[in-house]
Amino acid sequence: MLQHGPLLERLLAGDFICQVSDEDAFRHLSLEQTQQDINHYLRPLNRRLVSNEDNSVYFLAYHELNKAAREQLSGQFALTVQSLLPLLEWLQLVQETLGRDSALTAGDTIKLQEFVLRTEDNQSLRQRLNQLASDRFFNSQSDALDNQVKLIFRRLKEHGYLLQPHSDRQYYIVTGKIDYLIDVIRFIRDEEHLPVDDTPTQQAIL
Amino acid sequence: MAPLDTGSASNLFSVGAERLALLGKHHKALMQGYLDGFIDEAAFSETALKKLIAARILWRPDEQQPLALRPLVSELIASMVADENRRQINADVAEKLEQIRNRVQAYRDAQYKGDYSVAELQLQRLTEHVHDLSGQFEEAIDSLWHRLNSDFGFVASLDDKIRENERAQKQLRRLLDGLVLLDFNELIELSEGNNHLRKLLVSQLQNQLSSHHSSLLEVQKRLVELLARFRQQQSRSMLITNMAAFLRQHPKYQPADYPNRSDVPVLFNQAAAIQPQAAIALDKASERQILAELVRALPRTAVINLPDQQSASFAAVMEDEEIAARQQALKTDVENFYLRVIDKAGPLSALDYLAEHQLNWDSEIWLYQIIAEYQALPVDEKHMFAIKRDEVPASAVNSLLLIRDISLSLQAA
Repeated sequence: MLQHGPLLERLLAGDFICQVSDEDAFRHLSLEQTQQDINHYLRPLNRRLVSNEDNSVYFLAYHELNKAAREQLSGQFALTVQSLLPLLEWLQLVQETLGRDSALTAGDTIKLQEFVLRTEDNQSLRQRLNQLASDRFFNSQSDALDNQVKLIFRRLKEHGYLLQPHSDRQYYIVTGKIDYLIDVIRFIRDEEHLPVDDTPTQQAIL
Repeated sequence: MAPLDTGSASNLFSVGAERLALLGKHHKALMQGYLDGFIDEAAFSETALKKLIAARILWRPDEQQPLALRPLVSELIASMVADENRRQINADVAEKLEQIRNRVQAYRDAQYKGDYSVAELQLQRLTEHVHDLSGQFEEAIDSLWHRLNSDFGFVASLDDKIRENERAQKQLRRLLDGLVLLDFNELIELSEGNNHLRKLLVSQLQNQLSSHHSSLLEVQKRLVELLARFRQQQSRSMLITNMAAFLRQHPKYQPADYPNRSDVPVLFNQAAAIQPQAAIALDKASERQILAELVRALPRTAVINLPDQQSASFAAVMEDEEIAARQQALKTDVENFYLRVIDKAGPLSALDYLAEHQLNWDSEIWLYQIIAEYQALPVDEKHMFAIKRDEVPASAVNSLLLIRDISLSLQAA
């Protein structure tokens, strides 16, 4: 177990482990033996290792759901629901601003400077960013574009959606937690039968 | 080579060489025509245009249309620069196979007649056809890999990429169908009793085609994987767009309370963080050495040895019980004043309070104590109070400010 010490600490701290955020740890976690070892260790802490459907991201869940655990989960869930729209809007904004033909996926790189430059000259993007930055989730008080963008990216880094490989260089890599977000959205959509389509219509295919 | 000896062949040579030179002579204008889809006639002289049309390099598809490159020339350029938007894949195997059969027959006939120079020529042509057939697959496979490796980057939108991928898969299926047409039993029969033919049609061609076959299967596998990825990306984009639209339309939308279900979905079972903490323990004798070194390595702050002891005892000497009691009373009154400020919404004047409560403190001492108390507050509590000094200059010539009164108010957090 000693070799997994740093990994355990990250998991216990609530980190999501994916191929981008920690390649070595991720490889270890894909092994069944390691999973068993870790679960065995976590048992007295009332934690267990879980992953999303495609096993692209690992995190810790409660083993037994006692009252305290449910309270924590309720709070967590409220935050997640609250963050859905700002996160989705951010995903759309990045995709449109950088002129990408598909949604962001784990491993994609975003250069902050490029994002700022493209937003600067476009009144409608500028306005949308302004609105997004003042959302409760990002909560920017500044009117300056540069500060708003930096704050948004910093918050996303804190929430584990982005990784900044060098703290002094302004480029970010999208982590596997974005897959988790998509899974959450798909789950809610399916569970609540929301009229939210994700398959291209027959006409589009033809 | 034999055909060069005849008059028509030397004519062929000179015409071909001349027309190839035309391509080189007008390379820039022709390449521009390739990119634009039509030829700018102003860029050529009258005679040059005539020559290019006669050489079947340019043509006019329709009376109304401008001049354009002949399809074969466009195709040649597309293949040379690997322009996947325009590159053609020729999957027609049946025609090539027919030509090979005819050539074999012609070769055998010539041999039978003992006309060796003609037989030689037919063998030469046959070799070319076999190479063409193999080359046709090679070109197609090269084009497919090229498109695959660039992630279909030559088209802009994801929808186009999906369409291009599907087109590539259809081409690939036609190529595989073409390979099936090649019946090696037939080729073995064709080459029976002739070493040259066997080498050309059986060992060489078979080798090449089987390697093409495995390449094609590999490309096919990768194309299918890539298509699945494109589709996944497409579905993700749509999910994001449509979910965002839905949430914007229903700002009050609240999903079911998953965390309080009897069976909590794993996605919403995200445990609270635990931060492991550790402190130095002294129970292991063996580690004392390390700990001692750690302690020694700590940066030492320069200790200024203040004569604490002395000053304390000095103050103690001065202390009088009566004075201490009066100081305590003053402190209590000032504290009450602060509490009153907290209760009251607006600013409160210190001197008004003093008069109102008929406290018999000297006004100067009263103000001093209030300021002292304010200064003694912790920083975050200090922010809770707004302190305003009512000051006047000592005299017209002295700009020393004298405090006449202090008003305190609770500050909005």
